[in-house]
Amino acid sequence: GVTTASTFVLDQPRCIFDNYGNADIWLVVALEDAISTFNNTAGPGTPETAFQSFPDPVRAYMTLNATLAHYPCPKPDGDIAVLRVGSETSCAQDASRPTCNGPLPGPGPYRVKFLALEGSVPVAETVWSEPIMLRTAKPPSSIATTGSGHSAGMIAITTILSILLAVLLAGLVAMLVFWRSESCGGSSSFSKPESVTVRRYNTHHVYDQPAARL
Amino acid sequence: MAKSDDCIHILQGLLVFGNVVIGMCGIALTAECIYFVSTPQGLYPLLKDTENSDIHAAAWIGIFVGLALFALSILGIIGVIKASRTLLLVYIILMLITFAFEMASCITAATHQDSLTPEFFLKQMLERYQKSDPANSDNEVTKTWDELMLQNHCCGVLSPSDWVEYTSAFRLTHSDADYPWPRTCCVLDAKGLPVNLDGCKLGVSGYYNSNGCYDAISGPVSTHAWGVAWFGFAILCWTFCVLIGTMFYWSGIEY
Repeated sequence: GVTTASTFVLDQPRCIFDNYGNADIWLVVALEDAISTFNNTAGPGTPETAFQSFPDPVRAYMTLNATLAHYPCPKPDGDIAVLRVGSETSCAQDASRPTCNGPLPGPGPYRVKFLALEGSVPVAETVWSEPIMLRTAKPPSSIATTGSGHSAGMIAITTILSILLAVLLAGLVAMLVFWRSESCGGSSSFSKPESVTVRRYNTHHVYDQPAARL
Repeated sequence: MAKSDDCIHILQGLLVFGNVVIGMCGIALTAECIYFVSTPQGLYPLLKDTENSDIHAAAWIGIFVGLALFALSILGIIGVIKASRTLLLVYIILMLITFAFEMASCITAATHQDSLTPEFFLKQMLERYQKSDPANSDNEVTKTWDELMLQNHCCGVLSPSDWVEYTSAFRLTHSDADYPWPRTCCVLDAKGLPVNLDGCKLGVSGYYNSNGCYDAISGPVSTHAWGVAWFGFAILCWTFCVLIGTMFYWSGIEY
């Protein structure tokens, strides 16, 4: 079960009130300071124990109104064995239903006990429980979404790519600066494949021969 | 000279091969980014209105970079075979520009992937799911979350207790006695009604979805972001090698 801001969960009182087949089982929910003043003879459904007046001026209210038939012992498989305190929202404001199992108005702490009444005579009860605190919900603005940090992968990508880009730019600059220089590529110079042309070269002695004849 | 010719031919062959690979990778990058942009992933509304729509921008850049790489690789192949200084110079400069864009896209994808923590989604879910004021302002977020919870049988970001631990826009309109968590967290029958409403409210296993949705969200978004980031990074490393080779080749061409 889950404790929320206005409900909590108890184990059902199975196999506890077995000797009191005729009794009505009530749940008493009280504030911490009211357990010493609570009187078992206080009747359920009276203004002194009405849920709607809880927590002020009523310091302990009674709810549930179940019988042993609701809680067979031993527990059949598949039955839910927990009881949710605060589950009835429809009667929370309805003064005509003073035994409403309505949502609790604050975070507590609360103490509970089960009480078996035959008519209006208390015949059995459990001890008071430990104090039960409800949850206080935090606002979503309290969730820290900053400071997630950078993963190693992202840092690696950024660094390596920056270095590569820097090397390429340096290479481009070197290329353009040494455009006309033969120092870098001289040894591996090669000609363009289709642009080999043969220039006709006239040697001097071809022109000299007619002059020599004369 | 023969040996130098062989070296030149080998270098030419390598550069042509390198450019062919770049061209194919460019097509693959374009295809991958088109897939990411157009797939109705269903999670886009969660990312859209935040600063994290940059992952989408990274994918759009990836599409154009991919096409540019393909076109430039063809230019590069022509330039290498014709050994033309002008063509190769144009090729190198345009490739550097493309390199810079793709680098920006990778880094953006990686950075924004880092910011999609569970806390981010938790805060968004609490503040915007079923936000009723002003009316209908966050319908898309609500619908996305409902579909996510129904399809993946999950509740909340880390667990259903997210709804109980924090106040939320949902909590303003639904009391936690009736709705400790939204009804879509319950196991629903064929008609869309909870199989056992009390069991669901109590948190009895079998009647509600007890695992969180973060795995279902982070899976597709991670694949997306790392696909764009790491594939782009691999392409850029290969492009770097080809460009260095092209620069050596260029400086050796006679003019």
